[in-house]
Amino acid sequence: MRLPKFEYRQPESMKEACEILLDQPSARVLAGGTDLLVNMKHRVETPTTVVNLKRVAGQSYVRKENGALRIGALTPLKHVYRDPFVAEKLPALAAAASSVGSYHHQTMGTIGGNLCQQTRCKYFNQSKWWRSSRPLCFKAGGDLCHVAKKERVCYSTYCGDVAPALLVLDAEVVLSAKDGSRQVPLESMYSGEGKMPLQIERGEILTEVVIPASSANAFSTYKKFANRGSIDFPIVGAAFWTSTATGESRIALTAVDRKPVRARQLEEFMRGKPLGQDCLEAVDGLVTKEARLMKSSIDSLSFKRKLMGLLVKESIKEAMGGR
Amino acid sequence: MKHGIELSVNGDLYEVLVAPNQTLLEVLRDKLGLMGTKRGCDVGACGACTVLLDGEAYLSCVMLAMDAVGKKIVTIEGLAENGTLHPLQDSFVRLGGLQCGFCTPGIIMTAKAVLDEEPHPTEASLKKKMAGNLCRCTGYTKVIEAVMDVAKRTGGQD
Repeated sequence: MRLPKFEYRQPESMKEACEILLDQPSARVLAGGTDLLVNMKHRVETPTTVVNLKRVAGQSYVRKENGALRIGALTPLKHVYRDPFVAEKLPALAAAASSVGSYHHQTMGTIGGNLCQQTRCKYFNQSKWWRSSRPLCFKAGGDLCHVAKKERVCYSTYCGDVAPALLVLDAEVVLSAKDGSRQVPLESMYSGEGKMPLQIERGEILTEVVIPASSANAFSTYKKFANRGSIDFPIVGAAFWTSTATGESRIALTAVDRKPVRARQLEEFMRGKPLGQDCLEAVDGLVTKEARLMKSSIDSLSFKRKLMGLLVKESIKEAMGGR
Repeated sequence: MKHGIELSVNGDLYEVLVAPNQTLLEVLRDKLGLMGTKRGCDVGACGACTVLLDGEAYLSCVMLAMDAVGKKIVTIEGLAENGTLHPLQDSFVRLGGLQCGFCTPGIIMTAKAVLDEEPHPTEASLKKKMAGNLCRCTGYTKVIEAVMDVAKRTGGQD
């Protein structure tokens, strides 16, 4: 499969990259390429310009600064989960990064690219030929959403593994622009819209992930259920973080909505309660409250709902054993 | 617009004229005639196109050729030295680690990256790292045996 034609740019600084993005509205940034280039081969993304960020020096690092952990957006996933601090103190992030695709994807793929990956849908992630039997869907440039059978909406699903882990670790992201940068909670970067899943201004690039020190001394885990254990997107993925010191728990899910979601009602129920039978019994009823499940994959919604409960309960049990 | 780039493949420098939308796999096969690297799924899901870039396993079908400039690329053709098979190749031949052989170049390149990084992997660790290389003949048992044999005999240092 040939890639469509595009203009190739290879800036040497983030500022230069941001300027190109401002100048070329339909330009896309290239990091690991394992998501963007596949979508381009399928002609579901056809940017006029591809901006390769990998020649920008000094964007791959994992370092501690004033207690917080800062990870450069171009850090390969493999370097993230191999970092001794991440492996020991942030097991949810280590588990999530090491569950992405295959070993090759973890070598090539970057943490920034993983967070900014496209949403997925069975009508969208297909070759042009496969898609030609139906009118183009809204996401791919047409009008109709085949999932919802409605016009001008998109119900594709966010399936990234790393985002839920970072959500429960209360991570923030640095978005850099031509003249300056802003640090925002990771959660606010996701729009919840299938068509444009990221709330990033034109000319902005995600350059850093920041995890607060307070997230490190607590239990955390990420659990994923996928069709194949070897290489696959999650059918459902769940991250869980709990601190004995504050009695606070955080739960985030992926592949259940147009964005990664926090299960806030369940978190609220669990606040201050010791982990035990009470919490476990509440999971199934509360964990699905915030998710807006749509049938954008081949898996049934009831199966996904069951998995959400199972993965979260498994995580809570693991935390109980660890206490 | 085409760009003139220099690629270092198996220790040789090649000057090639490539379009930005050409993948490393296309350039290796169609421009340099190195047909050992296979085009499987072409979307980064099967591992057949695995090559080494600076010693790490990369999927050449989802990588732009322009992006490989300045990296040391090694393909399956670059493993044997002076007509002597690489220990991994030798082991696959001796222990029958292949059936139709289409996935084998990708599997061997991944195995080399894994052993260079972790000379004595446990079977579980090896299986996890090689899981991205699919074999449709499903001959996985002998593949793992062949790689473990090399790990045992050479310590994976080569």
